[in-house]
Amino acid sequence: MKKLFSGSVVVMLVVVLLAGAMTGCKKDVSASGEKEVVFYTNADDEAVEAMENALKENGFDGKYLIQVFGTSELGGKLMAEGTNIEADIITMSSFYIESAQVEKSMFQDLDFDTKALEEYPSYYSPITAQEGAIIYNTEMLESEGVTVPKSIRDLAKPEYKDLISVTDITGSSTAWLMIQALINEYGEADAKEVLHGIYENAGAHIEESGSGPIKKVRTGEVVIGFGLRHQAVADKAEGIPIDFVDPTEGNFTLTESVAIINKGENTNPEAMKMAECIITKGRPALLETYPIPLYEGEAADEKNTSGNPKTFKEQLTVELLKEHQAFSEECK
Amino acid sequence: MKGLKEKESNLIWLIMAFAAGVFLFYPLGKLLLKSFETAGGIGIGLYQEVLAGKKFLLVAGNSVGIAGVSALLTTILAFVCAYSLHFSNLPGSFKKIIKNLCVLPMLLPTITYGFAIIYSFGKQGVYTRLLGRQLFDIYGINGLIIGYIIYTFPIAFLLLTNTMAYIDKKFVLVSRVMGDKGIKTFYVAVFRPLLGTIVTAIIQCFFLSFTDFGIPASVGGKVKTIAGLLYEQMLGSVPDFGRGAVIAIMMLLPSVISILLIWQLEKTNICYNSIENSEIPKGAIRDGILGIMTTLIVSGIMLVLLVIFLIPFISGWPYDLTFTLKHFKNVFADTALTGVLRNSLYVSLATALFGTTISFFAALVATRSKVGKGKKNFLDILGNVTNTIPGMVIGIAYMLTFTGTRLQTTFTIIIICNTLHFFATPYMMMKNSFLKLNSGFEATGKIMGDSWFQSLYRIIIPNTVETIFSVLNYYFVNSMVTISGIVFLTGARTMVMTTKIKELQHFAKFSEIFVLSFLIFLINLTIKVIFKGVKKYEKVI
Repeated sequence: MKKLFSGSVVVMLVVVLLAGAMTGCKKDVSASGEKEVVFYTNADDEAVEAMENALKENGFDGKYLIQVFGTSELGGKLMAEGTNIEADIITMSSFYIESAQVEKSMFQDLDFDTKALEEYPSYYSPITAQEGAIIYNTEMLESEGVTVPKSIRDLAKPEYKDLISVTDITGSSTAWLMIQALINEYGEADAKEVLHGIYENAGAHIEESGSGPIKKVRTGEVVIGFGLRHQAVADKAEGIPIDFVDPTEGNFTLTESVAIINKGENTNPEAMKMAECIITKGRPALLETYPIPLYEGEAADEKNTSGNPKTFKEQLTVELLKEHQAFSEECK
Repeated sequence: MKGLKEKESNLIWLIMAFAAGVFLFYPLGKLLLKSFETAGGIGIGLYQEVLAGKKFLLVAGNSVGIAGVSALLTTILAFVCAYSLHFSNLPGSFKKIIKNLCVLPMLLPTITYGFAIIYSFGKQGVYTRLLGRQLFDIYGINGLIIGYIIYTFPIAFLLLTNTMAYIDKKFVLVSRVMGDKGIKTFYVAVFRPLLGTIVTAIIQCFFLSFTDFGIPASVGGKVKTIAGLLYEQMLGSVPDFGRGAVIAIMMLLPSVISILLIWQLEKTNICYNSIENSEIPKGAIRDGILGIMTTLIVSGIMLVLLVIFLIPFISGWPYDLTFTLKHFKNVFADTALTGVLRNSLYVSLATALFGTTISFFAALVATRSKVGKGKKNFLDILGNVTNTIPGMVIGIAYMLTFTGTRLQTTFTIIIICNTLHFFATPYMMMKNSFLKLNSGFEATGKIMGDSWFQSLYRIIIPNTVETIFSVLNYYFVNSMVTISGIVFLTGARTMVMTTKIKELQHFAKFSEIFVLSFLIFLINLTIKVIFKGVKKYEKVI
């Protein structure tokens, strides 16, 4: 009898241990009893919302989970974890997906016809294209008494000291749009000088997130920022005191794409259907925020067509990003 | 009969040792190994590489310097507050309010302090707007120091008040009678007996600031700290686990030294047996000065925290200042955010139960069993090791060990991480409370015919129930506010509130951040009040 009692203490301990272990597995399953498809994405709010709406309206409500990351964090996770990653499906900067595929061959081919305007590798399809631009707060511009910059180079001028915000390329690829423009226009040697001046002027306002600068411009923490063009277009239309400039160095573009992790027999078949749904059903809403046509039958709005679109001379890869990150570090 | 008891104790010890092996020593070993892995086998190549880079030394210097200055300032401020509580005749109600306010920051995650500082003293901060100009630049060293002070102040305060309570106030009187002047009295009767605790407080504050991740993540600006560098190496755009492992091991060094120093100091602490609450000599001027200083310090901290309770209710700071509940409604309408709230509650409750069970039995075996000195020492070492290891290091060790296993991104691994990370204090609390119990209790129980289990729930548990509640509370609150370890372990299904705040920060969604912080505070306060109530109730019975 006593043995029974004393044994139960140990049993209790083991039960607590096991209960902990069980919950880990139990939570994998949604209310319907099926495993949810996990999305990892670096997309902004607007894109996430558009994708979610497409999924919800097409019968996938409650069958997925979306986890948002910064570009560098998600990039790091892809490179580090490969197919061990928790996600079933990702949306991510295209060049990252390409590099991850080269290094880890972790994605499977998409099995639907996308009808994209340009040709992309078989394992991803673009969801958005985003351009960079100079953004400024019209009210603050007046109160601080500074002029509107015409080029990215202008941001290095002493008059903008402590008044600008840019993105750090180690944290977000939005900064790359600016650095590509500088290197493309002035060559590495001159670009270094300009970027150094820009970092000096930005001081503490070198942001980790691509939308960091525009948020600081909105709240008036700074007057001018380098950010995503479409966000400024939307703010302006909403009546927020924000305007933008297409810099003389050009508006550069990055695309973000959807890809599916190849988990062998553990691959969730729903993931492919959701990817197709995002491309075929989600694009109209995505196009509203990211107004650059990517698929047959899409048209761009006049006000959303940037004044000066350009592309970088080299192919975009994670390797090139690393080079430019090192370049940027030298300018700090 | 006797054999039986040893059997249970031995079995519990065995389970503990096994768990420690799998979840502490193996992952740490793996981390250590990783740091010595080079292309040509095992070597110190990575260490040379990291140490040769000027970035690492600069960052390490930043971390040590800023954490050191903050620790010193915090201890001075905490000393003033503790001193006026114990060595003045200020009204009891004032003392009670100060005592409660001083520990308030503990109920919030450190990452929140950073945002509170931005919204207090930033260019568009509440106080900047009220005063019409920005007092100082908040990003970088200033912000870090303020953040670290708010973070470590409660800990320094608790350490100092606890020891001051044990200082015989008669010494002050004796010293006066002997004809000592004010300063000498202070030195002889207060400062010297407290010296050990003061140094402990400085070291403890240094350790906490040095290893904190949340504050540099929010107000670090261009000033990088070791914690930030470590995060960048492990989860940055170009992760390098080898270098990350090296930095993690390097981070361990100051931590180990700190804990060893504290250990040494504890041995030399002066011990008073009789504590009589004798009268403090009258001194209206002294009381006045102390009262003002304490009020200034505490309200300074409260002013920063106040923002957390203001911003969530304002439509759109700084342009639209109308009162609103829409941010709360939005958070509760967003299933992703309510899910995170649920996850946090689940993790904290589970950690509280699991952690308390573990520390209860570990302390029981260490104090009231006959398992042998070696085995008992092992448990003490376990307590000390967990005290030394920063959360980030545990998180990274787990990331290296459990990625690709069934445990990856599960609640289980998060709960285990928290249990280990915070094990040291509960273990000590339980041990102290078991040591106070009459050592004959079990023997008496046995004579009465009780089994080990019976004496456990008839005698041991009822007599230590107050400590058990304190431990539950400790584990719960710490699991609610921690981020450093679990930021490497959470996944889409297991995101908790603090890691979500980190994610929201990336997109500068401050309304949501403040709502979540506010909720964390509310939950922790509720739990604290409940446990306090239960403890009082127990006492009455």
